[in-house]
Amino acid sequence: MSLALKLLTGIFILCFPLQAFGWDWQTKVTVVVKDQPLEVVCGILEKEYGIHFSYSRELVNLSRKVTLTAHQQRLKKLLDELFSPDDIRFTRVGEQIVLLPAERSTRTISGYIKDASSGENLIGATVYAPALKQGTTTNQYGFFSLTTVKDTNSLVVSYVGYQPHLQRVPDKGDHLLNVTLQPLGSLKEVVISAKENSKLQEQTQMSKVKLNASEVQSMPRLLGEVDVMRTLQSLPGVSGGSDGAGGLYVRGGGPDQNLVLIDGTPVFNFSHFFGVYSLLNANVVKTTDLYKGAFPARFGGRISSVVDIAMKEGDMKEYHGDASIGLIAAKFNIEGPIVKDKTSFMLSARRSYPDLLLNAALQSDNSLGVGGDFQAYFYDVNAKVNHIFSPKDRVFLSFYRGEDNLSIKQTVDDSTYVHNPGQYLGESSKFQLGWGNTIAAIRWNHIYGPRLFSNISLNFSQYEFFTEYEHKYVLPTSGEKSDMYGTYNSVMTNSGGRIDFDFRPNPRHSVRFGAITTMHNFKPGNASFEDKDSPVTPLDTLDASLRVRGLELSLYAEDDWQIKPDLFASIGVHASGFLVEGRFYYSLQPRLGLRYVLPRNWAVKAAYTHMNQYIHLLSSNGNTLPTDIWVPSTQRVAPLFSKQIALGVGKTSSNLKYEFTLEGYYKSMSNMIENKETNGIISPLGSRWDENVTVGKGWSYGAEVMLQKKKGSTTGWIGYTLSWSERRFPGINNGEIYPYKYDHRHDIEFVLVQQLGRHWEFSASWHFNSGTPITLPVASYAGGGNASPWDPSPGTPGVDRFDNWNNYRGQAVHRMDVGITWNKQKKRWSRSWNLSVFNVYNRKNPFLYLISEDAEAQKRYLSKLTILPILPSITYSIKF
Amino acid sequence: MRKSYFIVGAFGLSMLLNACEKKVEIQLPYEGDKIVVNSLIQPDSVVYIRVTRSVPSKVFDDAGYKDIPDAAVSLTANGVSLPLQLQTIKGLSYYVSGEKAVLGQQYRVAVTAPGLKPVTGTDTLVAAPLANAATAQRNSNRVQFTLKDRAASADYYRIRIYRTDAGSGQVTFLLFRLDPAFNNNLVDFFSKGNYNSLIMSDERFNGKPVNFVLQTADPLTGDGDITVEVSALTRSSYLYFNTLAAQKESGNALVGNPARVFTNITDGYGIVGGINTKRMTFKIE
Repeated sequence: MSLALKLLTGIFILCFPLQAFGWDWQTKVTVVVKDQPLEVVCGILEKEYGIHFSYSRELVNLSRKVTLTAHQQRLKKLLDELFSPDDIRFTRVGEQIVLLPAERSTRTISGYIKDASSGENLIGATVYAPALKQGTTTNQYGFFSLTTVKDTNSLVVSYVGYQPHLQRVPDKGDHLLNVTLQPLGSLKEVVISAKENSKLQEQTQMSKVKLNASEVQSMPRLLGEVDVMRTLQSLPGVSGGSDGAGGLYVRGGGPDQNLVLIDGTPVFNFSHFFGVYSLLNANVVKTTDLYKGAFPARFGGRISSVVDIAMKEGDMKEYHGDASIGLIAAKFNIEGPIVKDKTSFMLSARRSYPDLLLNAALQSDNSLGVGGDFQAYFYDVNAKVNHIFSPKDRVFLSFYRGEDNLSIKQTVDDSTYVHNPGQYLGESSKFQLGWGNTIAAIRWNHIYGPRLFSNISLNFSQYEFFTEYEHKYVLPTSGEKSDMYGTYNSVMTNSGGRIDFDFRPNPRHSVRFGAITTMHNFKPGNASFEDKDSPVTPLDTLDASLRVRGLELSLYAEDDWQIKPDLFASIGVHASGFLVEGRFYYSLQPRLGLRYVLPRNWAVKAAYTHMNQYIHLLSSNGNTLPTDIWVPSTQRVAPLFSKQIALGVGKTSSNLKYEFTLEGYYKSMSNMIENKETNGIISPLGSRWDENVTVGKGWSYGAEVMLQKKKGSTTGWIGYTLSWSERRFPGINNGEIYPYKYDHRHDIEFVLVQQLGRHWEFSASWHFNSGTPITLPVASYAGGGNASPWDPSPGTPGVDRFDNWNNYRGQAVHRMDVGITWNKQKKRWSRSWNLSVFNVYNRKNPFLYLISEDAEAQKRYLSKLTILPILPSITYSIKF
Repeated sequence: MRKSYFIVGAFGLSMLLNACEKKVEIQLPYEGDKIVVNSLIQPDSVVYIRVTRSVPSKVFDDAGYKDIPDAAVSLTANGVSLPLQLQTIKGLSYYVSGEKAVLGQQYRVAVTAPGLKPVTGTDTLVAAPLANAATAQRNSNRVQFTLKDRAASADYYRIRIYRTDAGSGQVTFLLFRLDPAFNNNLVDFFSKGNYNSLIMSDERFNGKPVNFVLQTADPLTGDGDITVEVSALTRSSYLYFNTLAAQKESGNALVGNPARVFTNITDGYGIVGGINTKRMTFKIE
């Protein structure tokens, strides 16, 4: 045989199909079909590779059509993919593959995941069956339900910051389990870490950020206070108000468009101290979920965001507490069992205290006169009781009261009136201003069965603004007296109930449904006034106050559905109606989400949602203030309505260290209100608010990118937002579109937390946003005041001409804050010092702009008022 | 009122946190020179028209604004042209009509000037307010008068108070407000705001005789005359004065929505508006 013939023979042998020599599970096969039944695929494998299939047509249905492109794929993997969706089992018997129907012995394992040391429920913990590659996460009450179609012997339960736990499961049947996880020892060993464990590519939910307590606690502090709202403001897509003042502006929405829930109860005004601090003591917050879009169907009532805050429940095992004092406030928190493993409580309180020092100083130099007093403070109190009646029943009672108060009492007893008959005698005045929230809720968690969980809650939320003023004097020479006293308050109350069901029928579906009812009581602008010694007849006696009651009803249902192995959908609908003053508004709001998992575990997500809001916030001149009042929709002003579409990609690295999200969004907002024109000094008392506003539209669109490092000694995130937000109102800005006042084109956030050994932690945050729109005058001119130049005149006023709204952009705002914490763990307690420096490089950011005048130079110029220079602060805390 | 809370809050914060004010190197925008016409027309009085030029907002002009020397100004009453004469009064230039304005006629002012867009402004006149019985007690801070509003029309008013010194004859405009007990809406009471003019419509007292009670910032002491000036306004004049007052009240801070001052001058700025002022002068009792 020649050499050429030998080579040809060798090549022929190598190329001869392997099937001629039999097959095994590792045999590589190539099959390409388009829209053919499984039966055809089996036929191809039989014909091309000699693999014979044996099955009963009565038991095994191979009619499902598939489209398949498999090149050199292992036989086992191919068959897994082909048959698993139909639950067809396959096994080799001799040279044949026998196809059998799956054994339909489904079982459901459900229960709670808890912190082993405190008994606190863990939200978002992962329960995973490794053999089946199936898993689920606990809901906001720490409950999970995993239905498997096949037997499983063990589950892995894990949570960041806790030791993973291998849970053995009895062989057969449904089971209700309470799994406890041991926290890992760390600097924050008594802090419940609630970082979401499931990967972004495993969640259909998009446009959501979860903040855990330790992330909030690690942020640099403003005057010694950690703060939930300020931390939210450092996320992409979220803006704060003017430097120093608070407010949340999410994806171009207004501050009144955020649904802030504390343990499921809505809150109307989420800030203390003119928006500088959140109303909640951050030490009692367990988790904070921010939804910027892709709203789940269970939420409704506001159009721009949902901030869902879960508070700590109270330690079921041992007493714990902490206390701290900073430059602004002192606070404490205590929690523990009332009956061990059955009933727990949590109590916390906080009060700002600089006014105590200031009042003492004023009293010592008698600046306020005899009996004078000065108070300016905020406080809040949280209480919660949690009782386990049975493994299936648990009840929570929670209460919150917070208030801001400013009170000045002053007396002037001027004895010089003998020489100056125009002086007041015995003048005294008292001024009080305050606002606050009261929230109360009772919740009952009940497990009906392994697949059905419910939460029933009754809640109450009230926001009140109040002010009173008293002024007394005597004009001795004329004998004229005055004893005036007036009050003004606005009250907005919500009371209602909701029932939520969480139903996990099988691993492919996670269903939630429920009903919400809310009674809104509006009592804005209640005024009373009397002047005891005045002979003056009032101009009129119109009742200025408005009393309106509205009933809101909602039904919702949503399903997280695995359509295909790589394709998931979240399909929901929120139907709501609002009955007010004999009118009925309703809306049907679709909530749709899609997730497709790409190769390398990248998830592409899309969402489309509608949101409705039946209440409006009346602000003065576009500024958000405690005096703002909530009012219901009217015949002229229909409910607020938004549509949002979002598209993005997300991925969590396999070691759970890094998260990356990139999202684009477009949102339209209808029926927004803006003050029509400046009201006169003697505006009619009985005039309806809706006659003074104009109704318009808004649009916002943009993109957000966030890279987060979630584990390790260095954590933090970098976020960038590119966004536009616009408004258009008839009669304003000549009916033309203008930029929203918080239309920041670029927004950059950088947050870093660095553990330095066992005792030290360093944190830094840097914020940048491009200039805020402002309206500058475009000309000045002479005004007129009199018909004749010969008439007496107080002077000719100059007039500024304002043309287009927000026609100019102010300076860019940027600031770096840093903080360092030293922590020392003793046997039974720990103590820490935190040193924070706010605005470390003393950037003079504008709080507001002014037109200033320089009479000497005969010039006017633009100037800015800065309120937050470099501010170092120190906080001392103890924990036990 | 809510705006004043904002200012209180902002300045409270700024006091606490050691605020500072700093010049910003941003050039204030300017939309170019325009003709400004100011003429408030009183029945039975000659018409005074002041024509000036607008300036960039960076200009601080407390001496009045620059005249347009080569402007062509015309005045018509019901379409009939009225002769005008340029006069300098108290250092400022006015175009003054030779005839007195007559109630019931419509007046139109038109101005052209080289390099500037021609402008026009039109308004009617208004009847005198039915105000009388103005009084005030010495060392008191209350000033009262009676106003009988006309029922058939929407009426608008401006009220001012000034004092004329007995010796020097010098006039001082007083800061005042509606007596809170009279106004009954607490706004003045809380804000403690005093103004040198009050602009109002008759929505709360249409067709009624009302005994107005004003409260001056300081008690009325000493000798001299007090004058309560009540002006009836046309709607254009009312909108002009009302928005102008709002702009002045908002101060220098660019907070919230801008207060745009009403103008009825097409392609220009200013006001041509009807006004009818009644002055009630009396000695303090």
